[in-house]
Amino acid sequence: MKVICDRSALADAVNIVGGVVATRSPSPVLLCVKLTAKDGRLILEGTDLEVGLRLGVDQVDVQEEGVALVPADKLSQIVRASDDSTLTLETEDHAMHIRGEDSHFKVFGFDPSEAPAVRDFEGLEVNTELECGVFKTLISRTLFAAAAEHSRYAINGVLFDRDGRKLRLIATDGRRLALAKGTCVSGEGTVRTIIPVKALTLINKIIDDPEATVKIAIDESQILFKVGDGPDSAVLSSNLVEGAFPPFEDVIPKDQDKRVSFEAGVLSSAIRRAALLTNEESKGVRLSFNEHKLTLTSRAPEMGEAEIQIDLKDYSGDPVEIGFNPGFITDALKVVGNNDVIIELKASNKPGVIKIGTDFTYVIMPVNLQ
Amino acid sequence: MNQPRTILHVDMDAFFAAVEQRDHPELRGKPVLIGHDGPRGVVATASYEARKFGCHSAQPIVIAKRRCPEAIIVPPNGKAYRQASKQVFEIFERFTPLVQPLSIDEAFLDVTGSLRLHGSAETIAQEIRRLITDETQLTGSVGIAPNKFLAKIASDLDKPDGLTIIQPDQVEAFLHELPIGKIPGVGPATERKFHHLGITTIGQTRSLDLDVLQQQFGSSAQRYWELSRGIDERQVVSDGEAKSISHEQTFGVDVAEPDEIRRVMLGQTEQVAWRLRKYDLHARTLTLKIRYGDFETITRSTTLQSPSNHTDDLWTSAKGLFDTWIAKEGFKPVRLIGVTATQFDQTPQMGLFEDENRDKQSAVEQATDTIVEKFGKHAIRRAGAIPRDNEPRP
Repeated sequence: MKVICDRSALADAVNIVGGVVATRSPSPVLLCVKLTAKDGRLILEGTDLEVGLRLGVDQVDVQEEGVALVPADKLSQIVRASDDSTLTLETEDHAMHIRGEDSHFKVFGFDPSEAPAVRDFEGLEVNTELECGVFKTLISRTLFAAAAEHSRYAINGVLFDRDGRKLRLIATDGRRLALAKGTCVSGEGTVRTIIPVKALTLINKIIDDPEATVKIAIDESQILFKVGDGPDSAVLSSNLVEGAFPPFEDVIPKDQDKRVSFEAGVLSSAIRRAALLTNEESKGVRLSFNEHKLTLTSRAPEMGEAEIQIDLKDYSGDPVEIGFNPGFITDALKVVGNNDVIIELKASNKPGVIKIGTDFTYVIMPVNLQ
Repeated sequence: MNQPRTILHVDMDAFFAAVEQRDHPELRGKPVLIGHDGPRGVVATASYEARKFGCHSAQPIVIAKRRCPEAIIVPPNGKAYRQASKQVFEIFERFTPLVQPLSIDEAFLDVTGSLRLHGSAETIAQEIRRLITDETQLTGSVGIAPNKFLAKIASDLDKPDGLTIIQPDQVEAFLHELPIGKIPGVGPATERKFHHLGITTIGQTRSLDLDVLQQQFGSSAQRYWELSRGIDERQVVSDGEAKSISHEQTFGVDVAEPDEIRRVMLGQTEQVAWRLRKYDLHARTLTLKIRYGDFETITRSTTLQSPSNHTDDLWTSAKGLFDTWIAKEGFKPVRLIGVTATQFDQTPQMGLFEDENRDKQSAVEQATDTIVEKFGKHAIRRAGAIPRDNEPRP
């Protein structure tokens, strides 16, 4: 194989595929990226056996078709460190030569036939099709709330819940829950399945053209995404998370009787400032609402105290005082864009809700203030 | 500079022995050693009659018996001591909420805020001593000083049944006379180092620059420098504000049975969890302390999945640490085992999906806590923490 590549396009692709392959494994081929030069494009493949990715790069000149299997981290380091506008990749047995204007690297690789298979989208039935922009919004509004690990429920993933063309993504870590709604281009019947955090993180990175569409196929144990249609399209396959998602609908409050709206930026700034005087022992920020204003207070033992006030225009309901982990609020405010948010509350020991219209609902359990 | 404080250190006199002599008139006036009589037994407390012979606490029973062959050895009766301790601490709390227990028979009291209500520090100290004698028929010695370091040294100066006051203007003269070995943490080796520098009293340390102290004593230098000037800013912290809650036990002989140790650990974990719940604290970290027969001591810590004061959660962590220790490092007979909870979360996060089992567990714990408060800690406990029949109950 011999391919002349646009360095920056190659760097982006290697970086993304490098995020898929295992970081540590007794099997060296799992640490590798497979490169296939064919039909005028270069295809990069990587997998950790849970998630697999196939990424096309079309800014290449294929001079000789062929296949290579090389360690992802070394390839990525070399491509990133180079200043050249193009790099030439050429194989010699299982080694790869990477040549720039003033450089020549020879990297030892492995027999490409040993590379674990990465699935392609060919021949699969499209279950759902939606705009990349919509999908990206839904992912960014939920993914942050998913659990890193949890024993009782399958919440180390995001619930994909589609009914006809209506799609909901739901994520929770047991203390807060994010639900985002959107509309698909096409979709029949219903689907409910849990997608691992890693797969959605990768999809979020791959989607760069909001106008493009993403096609989704689901079979027994895997979900596959195809982003774009051209020679630079990407196919991501992932195992599904097994187990039961918690009964999330039961914990979304329906009888909140206190309500107020905020400019996201104003609330975010106040929370971040109040959080300056919290610490590991005392993580909570106290929010005291009344008709006219919101007072945020915090106290870190042996450090000090903070108080921030915001005037309220449209508070309705009785005064209430409630404590929240400030990070849980700012996490949500980061992903709502320039929208105004509505906060709904009930009591100091009941969940609070942050909303943008009906498209985004975020439920947070309070902390116990003493 | 903080405003001047008035700190009391109250130390009960030969506490365990005094309780036994109170409850058993036949022991009065006789040398008494509290401890388990056996090859590895250690003196917990020696009565003043036994101290004349050179017996003291932490001494192997075997040695103490050589010094005083007629000493009467009494096994510890924890229940009686705890009962007496509770009475004494209740007396302290009549004078100030700032009571920091150092052990079952010793505490710091910050009475700075109580002076207007109760009169001078000396009046408070005399009143505490009178109430202790009236209500428990025991005696305690009190030190009064502007800080903890000096108060603790003062209480020891006129034992038993004494009262020593160090006024702020007496601190300098007092330190000038105080042997260097009286600084807590200064053992024979450090003492020799000071002597080598020509220093025999704490006050003399003032003549040394901080640089010189740092060269000689490293990280302890700052503290010596401050103590030599009578500076000790450590606050009196009551149990509710404590940074850690722990229970540990030294065995009479090294224990070679992992299950035996697990049983003791479960009892300790129950105690720690109970104290956490009493103050509504949730711990994030659990630490296991293991001492081998050769006194080598190791600690192993783990972070809980989320802060908790449930016995089950703490026990899962404690057992996990113990089993990992065995699996990784191999079991060795254990001289001391202890369980410590730290990293308290004062604003515990509520959960969205509190499951039914957890609620039931909380209800069970509330019920058992009530029983423990009423009838003592052995009234109800997990079956796994109950000693086997052939052993003495703790």
